[in-house]
Amino acid sequence: MSATQRRLACVVTAFALAAIPPLFGPYYTNLFLTFAIFSVFSVSLNLLLGYTGLFSFGHAMFFGTGAYATALALKHVSGLPLLAAVGIGVAAAALLALVLCPIVVRVSGTAFAMLHLAFSQMMYVLALKLHNITGGEDGIGNFPIPALTIPGVGSVPMKDEPANFYYFAIALLALSLWLMWFFTRTPLGQVQLAIRENARRTDYLGFRVAQTKAVIYVFAAANAGVAGSLYGLFHDLVSADGALGALVSFAPIINIMIGGIGTFLGPVLGTAIFELIEELASRYTEHVELVIGLLLVVVIMYAPMGVLGVARMLRQKWRRDAPAAGALQKTS
Amino acid sequence: MSILETKGLAHDFGGLQVLCGVDLRVEQGERHAIIGPNGAGKTTLFNIITGTYRPSAGKVYFKGRDVTGLAPHALSRLGIGRSFQITSTFGRLTAFQNIRLAVLARRGIRFNALRSIDAMDDVTKETDAVLARINLGAERDRAASALSYGKHRALEISLALASDQELVLLDEFAAGMSRDETHDAVELIRRLTEGRTVVLIEHDMDAVFSLADRITVLHRGEILATGTPAEIRANEAVKEAYLGEMEF
Repeated sequence: MSATQRRLACVVTAFALAAIPPLFGPYYTNLFLTFAIFSVFSVSLNLLLGYTGLFSFGHAMFFGTGAYATALALKHVSGLPLLAAVGIGVAAAALLALVLCPIVVRVSGTAFAMLHLAFSQMMYVLALKLHNITGGEDGIGNFPIPALTIPGVGSVPMKDEPANFYYFAIALLALSLWLMWFFTRTPLGQVQLAIRENARRTDYLGFRVAQTKAVIYVFAAANAGVAGSLYGLFHDLVSADGALGALVSFAPIINIMIGGIGTFLGPVLGTAIFELIEELASRYTEHVELVIGLLLVVVIMYAPMGVLGVARMLRQKWRRDAPAAGALQKTS
Repeated sequence: MSILETKGLAHDFGGLQVLCGVDLRVEQGERHAIIGPNGAGKTTLFNIITGTYRPSAGKVYFKGRDVTGLAPHALSRLGIGRSFQITSTFGRLTAFQNIRLAVLARRGIRFNALRSIDAMDDVTKETDAVLARINLGAERDRAASALSYGKHRALEISLALASDQELVLLDEFAAGMSRDETHDAVELIRRLTEGRTVVLIEHDMDAVFSLADRITVLHRGEILATGTPAEIRANEAVKEAYLGEMEF
């Protein structure tokens, strides 16, 4: 894609995103926002899973930390600006990653995955047990949602204004997505791929593998924090099951597997399919997980590289066949 | 001063003595081959010099500085590079991306996440120049793992050479190559290591005798002899231990 085409695609996407609230109404706007939040969350996990080869069973702890930190800040600090509340959520998620990274960058594979399951379950139990801070099973709800104040311009109310909040959240999510996309195209993004492919050789070329992993880890956690923080604001409720539970960790893994591992937009596509099926299935059955589970079995059996993997294979096949078809036409 | 020197290097794997007191000297600018039968400790010696293992005893000096036990990336930054006997590239990345990593390493671009890599024209240009020099221009956008064996080996060696290290250790660069491929690889190495110091382990004696300025023979973890190719050829002990079994 040329730079002009890319710019055009950005403008079209921006208009399409802006048109959703007036065209589709609050119900579908909220559905789309849920999709956007989990897209960013899934892409942030894919930075570790697809790009660096680090499998995490506990990515929810960064999502949950972002959500809880934002909610706690708004509950306890009166007059806190909206962006500062999001910033606190993101910083808390990044800080948690910074604390954990001396331990986790030394391991990979199964050890990395299980260590994250352990840490995230620990966070989950803490959120349940520290009742007077986190509200235990009830979580933190009905915290004030401040208006977005831009000095010199004015202030946009967010409480009970789903369209306003949608625009605010979509802008931040788009920024987060763009930052992650840009990251994959920098030299550090290349070293990230090198670590996935061959950590030993990366070391011998003079790159510090552990430190590079730490930078990526903190960056991925911060972006999961963006998603978590906005999720908390969106629902005006943060609970252990909704933001920290094991299912919250599994959702992005499923999204990545459905959409296509190792491609940037694969997880976004996977999230769209996941949300769509969840929405449709919930109209007919209470057992949504059963439907998602069956879908996952089909994907793992027949399309291990996800939907984008299948698309790429078909495109290559079509390219191979195309010249042959052209040759046939000439002879006839 | 020798560029690389080991003093009394010893190593054992759980009681199995692999190296016992190796004193190796590699002079600036020479191509130094290490030969010896299987199990003589050649690769272990490489692994200690490049930081994979810490020796049980002894020291490694690079340009007079004690570098014993430094991590591979630290040694790489000081100017020691290596290639591997078992091809160890970045399999799913293209030949271009593979070489570009070596170019980034050479330029010390390691943590830059603020500039798009595609906008770094000088890096792209240098990478393409390396690819042209190693005859991989046509395979630029193919995944490393999809290259033919000979080309994949060339990429393996070039990863070590493209980062422009002062001292390069090549571990059996011709492993598994056909006669023609070996010939091409020898020419490639001759071309790319002009003015640099190379230590190579090799079983292909034609390659060794055509490339090496000096040869060290390792036998059961000890140095049996060191000398020019002519001296080694004439050495009775070497003939008995190693060369005698081979036709050359």
